[in-house]
Amino acid sequence: MCDSCGCPSPSDHNHDHTHDHGHTHNHSTSTTKTVDVHTSLFAANDALAKTNREHFEEIGAVALNLISSPGSGKTTLLEYTIEALKGEINIAVIEGDIETERDADRIRAKGVPVIQLTTGGACHLDAAMTHRGFHQLQKQPGGDKIDLLFIENVGNLVCPATFDLGEHERVVLVSVPEGPDKPAKYPKAFTSSHTFLITKTDLLPYFDFPVPEASAEALQLNPHLRVIDLCASKGGEGFETWLGYLRELVANMRGRAK
Amino acid sequence: MHEISLVQGLLVQLGELARANKAGKVIKITMEVGPLSGVVADSFRFGFDILSAEDDLVRGAELVLITPMVTYVCSACGQTVTTDGERPEECARCQELFLIPQGGDDLILRQVEME
Ligand SMILES: Nc1nc2c(ncn2[C@@H]2O[C@H](COP(=O)(O)OP(=O)(O)O)[C@@H](O)[C@H]2O)c(=O)[nH]1
Ligand SMILES: [Mg+2]
Ligand SMILES: [Zn+2]
Ligand SMILES: [Zn+2]
Repeated sequence: MCDSCGCPSPSDHNHDHTHDHGHTHNHSTSTTKTVDVHTSLFAANDALAKTNREHFEEIGAVALNLISSPGSGKTTLLEYTIEALKGEINIAVIEGDIETERDADRIRAKGVPVIQLTTGGACHLDAAMTHRGFHQLQKQPGGDKIDLLFIENVGNLVCPATFDLGEHERVVLVSVPEGPDKPAKYPKAFTSSHTFLITKTDLLPYFDFPVPEASAEALQLNPHLRVIDLCASKGGEGFETWLGYLRELVANMRGRAK
Repeated sequence: MHEISLVQGLLVQLGELARANKAGKVIKITMEVGPLSGVVADSFRFGFDILSAEDDLVRGAELVLITPMVTYVCSACGQTVTTDGERPEECARCQELFLIPQGGDDLILRQVEME
């Protein structure tokens, strides 16, 4: 089993399980104590997420948590977004992946502060990792002037949905080749998000992906979702809508800071 | 399979509880796994079996997982329906599609028996 994620591998059951399953302890002893607790196991993460949010706001940064399956186009979207907003909005990125610095290298090439978090097996980022990453980021050149912080989560449409990182907005991406049934199959990613991006719309002619139906299905789960369909590489209307959304978030945060 | 990291969090909490109560052994743990929590009960139990085997305090403890019900409230007419987590297709009274779930989204440690 891999340490932090624990995705089961077949060899797991070959460990020596010599521990006692026999319940030999004595239930009748008077030393037994029953304690009512009622604490959430999410509480520790959520408390740290709140701290993260305060950290971000102290420097006037809006944070977005990007969630999708591997390959939906998160890093590509960030590359084009950084390019489009150059000189206008200071962007920084926390990259989450199980292994490698590759996504961070792609972002670094665009000239913005970036930190790669490698989870070494874990299938999601949590608030503690994000906290560490943010402090590392702040030490980089330009890390003290961030308007917009993107956190690219580990490619996975399930596990990341359970962990608040302290983001202000959560963005879920589904690319056209993945098919339109993702909201129905992975509801939590959609009920917990603010924005739903349908990416790679340049591929619509080649795939059966009815955009209106997919967005209607997502809106049924969460009527507050902002749905944007876009192609990062070719630009156009959807991409401009995305940029407008980011500009608005940054302007609102600047307004709050005053 | 983020359940493993949640089990790790549970073991930390049990350690603190045992210390606070001067207990040396956890016997029974009762938890509530919300059907909308994003936590799969079977995976949680699987992770618990593996990790508790390596933990002197918790080894052999019984894990009881309770699934709370979820109440869906119609956003249009307020009609409620309670299910085991599954979202109803539509409001039975007014056919509205957007139903707001209440509860069932948390993972809660309810009770610990130790000695
Ligand atoms: N056709 C097309 N391909 C894209 C688009 N965006 C990303 N891709 C491709 O999809 C693949 C995965 O993209 P990447 O950004 O690495 O996805 P990530 O894993 O979500 O970060 C790469 O081969 C990209 O070139 C797009 O808008 N249109
Ligand atoms: Mg990527
Ligand atoms: Zn996982
Ligand atoms: Zn109704």
